[in-house]
Amino acid sequence: MMKLAVFLSDWRRTEDSFERMKAEKMGVILVGNGVYHAVVKENGKDSPVLSKAGANFYVLSDDLTTRGFTAANVNSKVKIVSYGDIVDLIMNDYEKMAWI
Amino acid sequence: MGAVNLLFVVQRPPYKSENPRLALTHAIASQTAEIYMDDGDSVVPIIVFVGDGVLNVVKDQQAMKVYGVTSTESHIKSCLLIDLPVWVCKEDMTRLGLKEENMITDAEDMGAELKTKFVSFADIQKEMESVKHLLFF
Repeated sequence: MMKLAVFLSDWRRTEDSFERMKAEKMGVILVGNGVYHAVVKENGKDSPVLSKAGANFYVLSDDLTTRGFTAANVNSKVKIVSYGDIVDLIMNDYEKMAWI
Repeated sequence: MGAVNLLFVVQRPPYKSENPRLALTHAIASQTAEIYMDDGDSVVPIIVFVGDGVLNVVKDQQAMKVYGVTSTESHIKSCLLIDLPVWVCKEDMTRLGLKEENMITDAEDMGAELKTKFVSFADIQKEMESVKHLLFF
């Protein structure tokens, strides 16, 4: 099993691939329109992306604020990170990356 | 011919694709087509945000500060400034947990008098039926 960092940059359409992915350790980095998974509660519910078992969730601060959201809006399961933090995650925590 | 009514319908969220931005710039520019029309004829655009497109209207977008690009918010406010009606679907806002206080409601900071209208999809449907051209983005 691999240590995989998954960059999720869409809000729709990529969930099918994402649901099938398995890894010994998985970090889900919400960037671009992927940040909506961290802040929007559709019909009052968390994004299904955040129910991925065992995964760590991160959201890129710059992409969040670009879209008018702040730390106060972010789901408690998700850690807010900077570009520098993402570099550290890639270099230190994960062996492979997937951009879906 | 009189008034040519156009309804620009934005159904995608901002930034990932150029689609919503194109809807805004096309809507803003649409009235320039009047120079090719007969005297007395006019172009009357409305832009509506439905589905995930309502996310375009979330306020306090920091695109200029973060990436040095004009925000979708500034384009929406430009619409209001030129008296181009901006409508947002209330049901889709509710579905996504957005309230009017989270949204761009006016462009008073730019001197605009027109305000954003939060409407039901039934109102948008009526407008779809009445306009001459529908443009989906």
